[in-house]
Parts: sequence; C-alpha cells; structure tokens
Amino acid sequence: MRLPRFEYYAPETLEAALSLLEDRGEGAFVMAGGTDMMVKMSHGRLKPKTIISLKSIPGMDMISFDPANGMMIGATTRLADILTDLRIETHYPALIQAVQTMANVEVRNMATLAGNICNAAPSADSAPPLMVMNAEVSLASVRGERRLPLSDFFRGPGLTLMQAGEIMTSIHLPAPQVGRGASYMRISARCGVDIAAVGVGVEVRVQSGVFSEARIVLGAVAPVPLRASGSEASLIGKPLNDETLELVSDMAAHESKPISDVRASADYRKRMVAVLTRRAITQAYERSTARHS
Amino acid sequence: MKEYSIIGKDVPRTDAEAKARGSALYTDDIRLPGMLHGRILRSPIAHGIIRSIDTSKASRLPGVKCVITSDDTPKIKYGNWRLFPETQDEYPLAVDKVRFIGDEVAAVAAIDRDTAEEALELIEVEYEELPGTFDVESSRAEGAPVIHDYCPSNVSVNRKIKYGDIEKGFSESDYIREDTFSFQAISHAYLEPCASLAQVDLDGRITLWTSTQTPYIVQCLLASTLGMRENDIRIIKPYVGGGFGGKMELRPWEFCAALMAKKTGRPVKFTLGREEEFLAGRRRHPMKIHSRVGFKKDGTLVAKDLRIQLDGGAYNAMGPTATFLCGNFGAMLYRYPNYRFLGEHVYTNKPPASAMRGFGAPQSLYASEVQMNIAAEELGIDPVDIRLKNAQVSGDQIPDVATISSCGFSESIRAVAEMSGWYEKRKSLKPGQGIGIGCYSFISGGVFNWFNTQYPFSAAEVRVFSDGTAHLLTMASDIGQGSDTVLKQILAEELGLRMEDIRMTSADTAMTPQGDLGTWGSRVTLMAGNAVIDAARKIKEQLFGAISARFNLNVIHHVECKNGRVQATARPDYGMSFGEAVAMVQKANRGEPLFARGSYTPRGKGLVTPAFGFGAQIAEVEVDRETGLVKVKNMWTAHDCGTVINPRSVEGQLAGSIQMGLGYALSEQMVMDGGRTVNVDFADYKMPTAMDMPPSEVVHVDTYEPEGPMGAKETGEGLASPTAPAISEAVYHATGFRCKDLPITPEKILKAI
Repeated sequence: MRLPRFEYYAPETLEAALSLLEDRGEGAFVMAGGTDMMVKMSHGRLKPKTIISLKSIPGMDMISFDPANGMMIGATTRLADILTDLRIETHYPALIQAVQTMANVEVRNMATLAGNICNAAPSADSAPPLMVMNAEVSLASVRGERRLPLSDFFRGPGLTLMQAGEIMTSIHLPAPQVGRGASYMRISARCGVDIAAVGVGVEVRVQSGVFSEARIVLGAVAPVPLRASGSEASLIGKPLNDETLELVSDMAAHESKPISDVRASADYRKRMVAVLTRRAITQAYERSTARHS
Repeated sequence: MKEYSIIGKDVPRTDAEAKARGSALYTDDIRLPGMLHGRILRSPIAHGIIRSIDTSKASRLPGVKCVITSDDTPKIKYGNWRLFPETQDEYPLAVDKVRFIGDEVAAVAAIDRDTAEEALELIEVEYEELPGTFDVESSRAEGAPVIHDYCPSNVSVNRKIKYGDIEKGFSESDYIREDTFSFQAISHAYLEPCASLAQVDLDGRITLWTSTQTPYIVQCLLASTLGMRENDIRIIKPYVGGGFGGKMELRPWEFCAALMAKKTGRPVKFTLGREEEFLAGRRRHPMKIHSRVGFKKDGTLVAKDLRIQLDGGAYNAMGPTATFLCGNFGAMLYRYPNYRFLGEHVYTNKPPASAMRGFGAPQSLYASEVQMNIAAEELGIDPVDIRLKNAQVSGDQIPDVATISSCGFSESIRAVAEMSGWYEKRKSLKPGQGIGIGCYSFISGGVFNWFNTQYPFSAAEVRVFSDGTAHLLTMASDIGQGSDTVLKQILAEELGLRMEDIRMTSADTAMTPQGDLGTWGSRVTLMAGNAVIDAARKIKEQLFGAISARFNLNVIHHVECKNGRVQATARPDYGMSFGEAVAMVQKANRGEPLFARGSYTPRGKGLVTPAFGFGAQIAEVEVDRETGLVKVKNMWTAHDCGTVINPRSVEGQLAGSIQMGLGYALSEQMVMDGGRTVNVDFADYKMPTAMDMPPSEVVHVDTYEPEGPMGAKETGEGLASPTAPAISEAVYHATGFRCKDLPITPEKILKAI
C-alpha cells in the first residue's frame, strides 16, 4: 500500500522535538526504531502527517546505571544494546529474558524498548518484567516532564496514558535490592522467533524464607499487561513449596482473561498462565536467594 | 563405485556467489523502460455470481493505463491436465462466477504499484452470494452447492487401483488395523513471491520473465489462453527463490501481464505480496485418509485398503496428479500382496490446493508409517524390525506400476538405526523423551504424460568449441534446487572438462531445446541429466572419430575425454587437447560447428516413474509435559538417492526437507474460517526458522540406478515425507499421544496426556 505523504524531521535536541510535536499537533508521530510504525504505515493502519525521529538526539540512546539509583535506559536505546549490556544481565536478568525473545537479530538492531512500550501491544514481551520490577517511564512535553509508574501506563491495545505532545524519553528501573528476584517466562508455538502466546513476569522479595512482597504481571491474556493482584496477595507470607505454587498459579490462571485466537485457545492460555507463573515464581525465588550470598 | 573426477564432489553451486552477494536477478529485480505495475482484484466472497463489474472509476484514476476483466479476454479455460481437457476448469479471470476468497476477478496496470492498488478499490463488483462448501463431507453431501456446472457431484477426479484379492487378504490376516487420518493445508512459503514481467515486441510477440518451475507449460498454456501460437511466446525463467510445487502452472498474473502488455504496448509487471500468497496461494492438500491394513502375527503385511479424499479447493490445479500419486505411494515402501485404493478429488470453496513437495506422499506415507508403528507395538515387534520384514527390495514388482530397479531401503533402515543408537534409546530414554522412525519412497520424475507434450520429456543441446569450452543449453529449470550445477557437473564429467569451461543457458523457451516438462516430481536430475549425457555422447563419437583417424588407431581402441584431453585410454600420447579435437572435427566438416542434441523420455517404464528413491529417518524429541511443547533434539537420516552427484546439494535438500517436515509435523497450518485463510503473514503462519533446526546427521546409502545418469535418482522431495511420522512416533514414545490429525500442537498433546 502507498505510504502516506508525511513530513520527516530528525531534530538534534529534545526541546526541538517537543516544540515540533506541539506545533504539528494531531497527525504528528514520534519514531524511535520504527519497526512497528513502518509496518503499520505500509499496511495503511497508520497515516502520519509528520514523523519526528528521535535518533539524532545525542545521548538518548544511553544506558546508565548506578547501584544507588538504578538503571536508566534512553528512548532510542536499541534492544540489541540492552542484550549486550553486562550490567543489565547482572542486575535485571528478567529484562534480558524478555528482550532475547523479542523479534529477531535484524529487528533487535533497530527496535527500542521505549517503542515496544509505547506500541502497547498486549503481548509486548518487555512490559511484564518491567512492570514487576517497578519500572517508571519519563514523559516530556513543552509543559515539562513527568514520571509515571509503568503499571499505570497501559490502557488498552495500543492505548496508553501518554498525552498529545508527550515524548517518552527514558525508562527507569529501581536499584537492585538484596532479597529480591525477578523472572520472565513466555511461550509460543515456534521456539526460535515468535510472538508470545502467553508471557508471565514475576518479582518477589523473600524474607526469612517466606515471600514478603510479590508482583505478578501476565502478558497476552488481557487487553493490557495484567497485574494479577489476587495471586500476588496469596503469595505473601508463604514459603516456596508445591502447595504455594499450585495455589498461586491456579489463582493467576483464574485472574487471566485470555481470548482464543489463531495463536492459542483461551483454555490453553489459562493453563499456560498457571505453568509459567509457577516456573517464574520458582526462578524469581532462586534469584532472590542468590542475591543474598 | 566408478571413479569420477567431478561427480560425487562438493562442487560449489554455480549460483551461490551471485545469491550470497545479492547480485542474482530475480523477476521482480528486472525493470524495463516504461514498465507498468499490475495488481489483481480478488473475490472477497467464497462463492457467488458476478452480476456486474464497473471499472470506469478505476480507469479514470490518473496513472492507470489498463483495466481488464474477463470480458477483455478470449475466455479460454486452462489447466495442466491437457490430456483430459474436461479437467481444465480455470479461467485467468473469473467468468460469471467466483469460487473462492481470492479468486481473480480483474486486473489493473498503472504507472506504479500504489496507483494500481488504489485503482483496485475503485472497481465496483456486484456479487450475488451463493452458499459455499468448505470441507469434503459437505461437498459430497446430497444437495451440496455445485461449484462447477460440469461436475454436479463436486468429485472431479477419482482413481482406483486394485490388485491381489483384498477380501481374501483380510480373511487371512491375524491382525487388522483401521484408522482415519486428517491433514491440514500448509503453504509452500517460498521466499520469493510470485512475479511476472511481460514485454511485447514490434511484431506482437510476447516475452515473459516469470518465477516459474515450468517454462514450457507456461508457454503452451499462455498461448492457448491468449489464442496465440506457442512460438510467438517466449518464457524466460530468471533466478527463482523456491517453488516447492507452487509455481508449476499457468497463473492469472502471467496471463494478465501478457495481455495488458499487448493492450498498452508497455511492459507490465506483477509481483504478489506475501499476504496475497497466503490468502489465495496454492497449498498442500488437506486430506482425509481411511486406511485398513492386515498383518500376519509375525508382522508380515497381507492386505491394505486405502481410501483418500483430497480437499482440492475451487479448481483442479495439480490435484488430479496428487490423487493418482496418493494411490501409488500408499503401496510403496512395503510389499502389499493385496491392495485396493480409491482416491477422490473433491471441490470446495477454498483456495485451490496443488502440487507441494512430496505430491501426496507426505499425507499418504504419514498414514502408512503411523499405522506401521501402531501395528509394531500391538504385535510386539520393534518398529525397525517390522519394517525390515516387509521392506521392498530391488527387483520387486509393483503391479501395473513398475519394477523397482534399485532399492537401498533395508540398508537405509539398518544404517539409521545404527547411527541413532535406536535399540538402546528405545529402551532407555527418560519420561518425556522419545525416539521414532519414519520412512519414505519417492519417484524420480513422472511417466504419465498428463500435459500431453509433443516433445521429449527433457532435452539438451551441447555445443563445443575449439578453445576447449562447451555451451550447454537446456530448458531444465533451476529454482534453487541446484540443477544448473548438477547438469554442468554431468556434462563436465562426460567431456572431461572443468566446470568453468562450460557456459550454460537454461530455461528460456526460445533459446533452449524443446522440450522440458519443468521442475517437479524430482525429475530434473534423472531426466535432464540423461538428456545431457545423450548429447555429450554424440559429441564424443565425433571427437573419438577424429582421434582415431589422426593417430590411425586400431578400431578396438577405447578413447576417452579426460582432464581436458581426448585420448586413447591405453595410449594417452595418442591424443590431443579437447579444443584441438573439436577443431579437427570442424575441419573435417568444412567449418560446420560441432553440436549435438540429446533427449530423454521414459519408455517401457510403466506409468509412474523410471526410478524410486528410498530412505529412513529417526527423530529424537523431548516433550515438555506441562506446556505440550515439542523440542526436536536430533535427526538421523539414511537414504538411497543412487549415485550422489553433489553431496553438498543433497545435504541442502535434506536440511530443507527437515525444515518443512518440522513445520508440517508441529506448527504449520493454514487456519481457515470457512473459506477465509486467517493467518496471512509469517507472524501467524508458524514456519520453523533457522533457530528451530535440530542437529542432523546423514548417511548416503551407496546404490546405482541403471536408469539414472551416472546411477543417480531423486533426492528432492522424498525426504519431505519421513520427518512428520518420525516426530509423531517420537512424541508417542515420549507421551503416549498418537497424533492422527496433523499438526501435533501443544494443545492436542496436553488434551491427550
């Protein structure tokens, strides 16, 4: 299909990008890697009048980390750069689990984490692990900057809390803490390169051998990445054993609201929510204790 | 085995470098001055009458140069089964009626693709929708919608085979097994979508560059549908990015490109999009197979009664051949003294199925092999042993079909069992792990002349020059399988030349010798290879004569072409360079160039094939019992393709076959909602990727096929069959779940265990 006619800008400062976006108003879209936008445009599902690329803004592709404040990932950081960052691998392995299953090598060399979040697909792999790790996103506009917890960010397929004129500039993860561990597990029909049929992110805090905090987010089983708050609550105060795992994973399956589609049936998805929740809790637990030592 | 200098060596593919560098030109890469871009309007409904088509708005869109519907065409039907004209059921553009979602209704040519696309939206078609039928049962039911007026039963072809005494066979059986299997449609998913580019010269003759497996078939059918003479049409096959059976017919866009080029005087190109390919493209036949087999207590096969219904979709396409071959494959691999087959090809309002790698064998052999495994278990015999007991051997006769002249089947079974550690693993694997076997036999080209060609099945012309080079011309079509390389190897071996001494022109119907039926049925190496040898030997006769005369050789001397020389074998000093020998022959003929034509047509070889390939494959899997996901951990293959002409090419065929077999077994299916194909992109059409490929080992069993060039036979398609049954048996071994309706999805496994 014919690409729509659009203006293209690659401003070199965030301020310039923001005022362009404000000025062009409706019909103006911000692009990072473009791997979702270009596909939508060539299928006629997105018809921007203006495209503002962020890729010429220096420093926006930075990853920074300090043990006290945590991790900051810039909006134009490529997935490929995340995968090869040893600090992320050490401190946020659940994010690596998600990113390494996203798309393929070629796409990861273009696509960004911020783009995956802003695209707001219910099956986005990065959302569950980021949400369970209490990620926040920075949104800038000509009116200023604000920071939102990612768990409040998604509103529906393709819908977010972002307002007109806002640009996501970075993603933040809190500092790694002793006694916490996170995991992301996903499943799809094809092992190598595929869209998730179900994904589960878990972060737990373990104190005195029992779970004292838990966050569980289910991907691809609801219109948005879904907080399974009932399952989280039922995990608190319990030790890791088969009984706990069965209780919590059944509850997670119960909380999920999957649909049947060409990728999997609703029944299968529910069953997989249970399996993956069990596995992810187990791995998160192992990681939390590993961090003790 | 005979010592060869080029045959059996890992000669690099002649197309490898161009493809690796991206310099190989495919049809879509070709751009001609003034070229227009075509798009096709397809039916949005599965079955209906076309009440009216209004193209006026589309024609007025700036940039649109031509809009056609069937009213602009001669309305002549076509189909590959020319020998039986009543089976030719397709028009290039729908006449009065549409029969599937995606049926071609109109075409636009415009200055660019986007304009053509926009024009499609301006064509107004009024349909009167008719009830459709989407599976074989409802198509065959009383009062079912009639899809083609000529065929009120919706069963367009049936084939019966019968030999021995089936009733007596079953009455003498100690154990009878009866099962029903069903199969999904899958896509060829060739990486190069279909593309065609037509140009008309000042005399009105058409040149068509097209992504095809069968230039000659396209030439003939394009001529007949346009009402033109065959010789006024030239088909050129550029590099082709795979076909797998999906590009072996005349296609509507080939016709539209040619007709619109004639109407506009400008070149017209069509390139299909991937969604179009998935939505409307040819596919492997969905089938229902009902199979009843009888055994003696000791595992000896006694009888088989096989009934197959092919869901052909809206047109016959290559369905009749698939129907015939299913019956043949049903009786292959093992000795069935009493056999009965009934195959029916049924119309439905779905995109037509057609030839696809294996041509009926993947379905037919899946049923055979799974039943063999069931029988082995119930009779308490190892699956390998029961196969060895019944395996076909060289010299076996298949009634009314052929005599198997070379057969390395038992050797293949033994070799694959040994290399995989079969007997040990069958006993010692842990729960969730499994190992299974599947086998195949396949044809080396077809004998039955359904296209009714007037020419030899394959032909070659060899021209030789006094500079020591040769030029090989053949219509054989390299679509990525490597036939250009293999045919060059065969000629180089025969003439004692090097690969780089040979220029090659292939698959151009105006330049290469008539005829060649194309690339399908694993026919090219055997048939075109034999044609090359035939031509080369005629050249050699002349060269040997010159040597004989020059050195006054006793007539009993053997003369050979070797290492760029022509020489008496016993006295290499009585000889000269290849080029000097050519020059001598030319002198003797007062300057006439030295060339020869060769051909091959199978004669006295029954009605199926001149030679059969065989093989066995073992898969080891691990099944996640909680998610139902199957991981294929290892594949072992032992096969008999006769003489291996190019080991690397054969291994490439094997890798490609395993990749397709994996998908067929585990993940690929065209998901249908009535007549609509739902998963029309690679995100949801789950073709295995390079990341999913298991490690694989192979043994080539050493046999010699007397009918094949240098003893070679098929290897391209047979290997597409054993992977699914091998994986299926391994999954059963791991979980106790026996799959009779492919694919083996995680959901089916979980439901069963």
